[in-house]
Amino acid sequence: MSYRDYVIAAYAVFAIVMLWDYVVPRLQLRAALRAARLRVARVASRTAPTELER
Amino acid sequence: MNPVVRWFHQLGSPPYFDRFAARWAPWAYLLGLLAMGVGLYGALFAVPADYQQGDSFRILYIHVPSAWMSMAVFALMAFYAAIALVWRIKLCEILAMACAPSGAAFTLVTLATGSIWGKPMWGTWWDWDPRLTTELIVLLVYVGLMGLYAAIDDRRNAARAAGFLAIVGVALLPVIRWSVVWWNSLHQGQTISLFGKSHMDPSMLWPLVWMIAGTKLWFVGSLLGRARADNLRRETGKDWVTKLAGGTP
Amino acid sequence: MMRQAAAALIARDLRLLWARRGDALQPALFALLTVVLFALGLGGDAKSLAPVASAVLWLAVLLAGLLALDSLFRGDAEDGSLEQWMLAPVPLWWLVLVRTLMHWATTALPVIVAVPLLGELLHLPRAQLPVLMASLLLGTPILSLFGAVVAALTVGMRRAGILVALLALPLYVPVLVFGAGAVAASAQGLDADGALLLLGAGLVISLVLAPPTTAAALRIAHN
Repeated sequence: MSYRDYVIAAYAVFAIVMLWDYVVPRLQLRAALRAARLRVARVASRTAPTELER
Repeated sequence: MNPVVRWFHQLGSPPYFDRFAARWAPWAYLLGLLAMGVGLYGALFAVPADYQQGDSFRILYIHVPSAWMSMAVFALMAFYAAIALVWRIKLCEILAMACAPSGAAFTLVTLATGSIWGKPMWGTWWDWDPRLTTELIVLLVYVGLMGLYAAIDDRRNAARAAGFLAIVGVALLPVIRWSVVWWNSLHQGQTISLFGKSHMDPSMLWPLVWMIAGTKLWFVGSLLGRARADNLRRETGKDWVTKLAGGTP
Repeated sequence: MMRQAAAALIARDLRLLWARRGDALQPALFALLTVVLFALGLGGDAKSLAPVASAVLWLAVLLAGLLALDSLFRGDAEDGSLEQWMLAPVPLWWLVLVRTLMHWATTALPVIVAVPLLGELLHLPRAQLPVLMASLLLGTPILSLFGAVVAALTVGMRRAGILVALLALPLYVPVLVFGAGAVAASAQGLDADGALLLLGAGLVISLVLAPPTTAAALRIAHN
């Protein structure tokens, strides 16, 4: 292995980990917002007026 | 009231923090990317090859910032944890726990790049020298901390327990480092000072500064992102989250 | 008041220990098991065992102590005594200190007593035994005191298991380094006094700092 391959390997590790650090919070945010939306839908369907109440 | 103090108090309110984080995280990432771009260009192309180590010393430009961040994030985490334990501020609990994964990631990069650099330098992938050994222990502390946070059901208690551990860890880290240095001198003999950070010509230093700035900004971006996500998860059911999700409270 | 509380706690612990005499031998048995496994793994001949004997013995004692950590607070957490501790008129750190030292005396001390015998199994050079014993006597209380902090943080958790070991090991590193290092230094012909004095200083510091830290951890975990 020439020096170049080592340098490439090290920079690749850095890039991959930095990318992971960017992606994961965004995924977490999407999941949290999705969970909130589902919850809203659940609550709405639960309190929707039934046939008898109308 | 002093505007700065008022801003701090406002930040502690979950909906305000959500808006703050949503607004500033992208900027932190963008500026971090730009700074790292400049630094990487300098590290890979602008700076000439070292007369002793050839091109492999370029790894220094990502190894040193990562090592710095792994320690700085640990200290920051302990700082947030101390505030959270003393003043019971929910946001500081969230921020402390949001530091851990990024800190662990930087520690992993430090170990990996150190190992990759070590192969052409010393002919071995791993060496029990003080810096790598201490970094490995730091990684174990990060992982243990995240494990503790995940293992306790109540989120506030979990954050407080893990935060407490972070403070104990920060207090003991110098002791651990010192003991490993002593152990190293006893068993390995005095090795050459690590990774030639001793004599770096100032003309070779500027990419390092850009990389340090860039990784810091990138970290701020992911800190805000993770904290925002944790904040939303904890506050599910509150009116402001309901409004955010498009419902009527 | 504090002396009475300490005496009462010690008496209670000794009575409980007597009721479960068999359990008291378990750490020592685990250390023996560790020694056997190391010997089997390394090939069993004196030439390969003697150089590593002191380190293996240190590890056997450390790991046995790690396993025993689970019993430090669990019994009291389960039957509600821990809450009584927190409400007692005596400082919590005092009760923690007494309990930790009793725990050390009943789990680590038997193992240390067994070390000369285990040393024979590993062909430990006789000259290293005094330094080894000194380092263990100074180091194992520190392990108990540090371990108590971790045990306190995880006291409520049922599936603590590996997490306790993972959390305690970074805290154990300095003790292991100086403890096993003291013996290694003396084996190389260097002076072990420095390392032993450091262990002694560490013991004094942890006697002062660890119990309040553990008390704080108990309050946090029990909350």
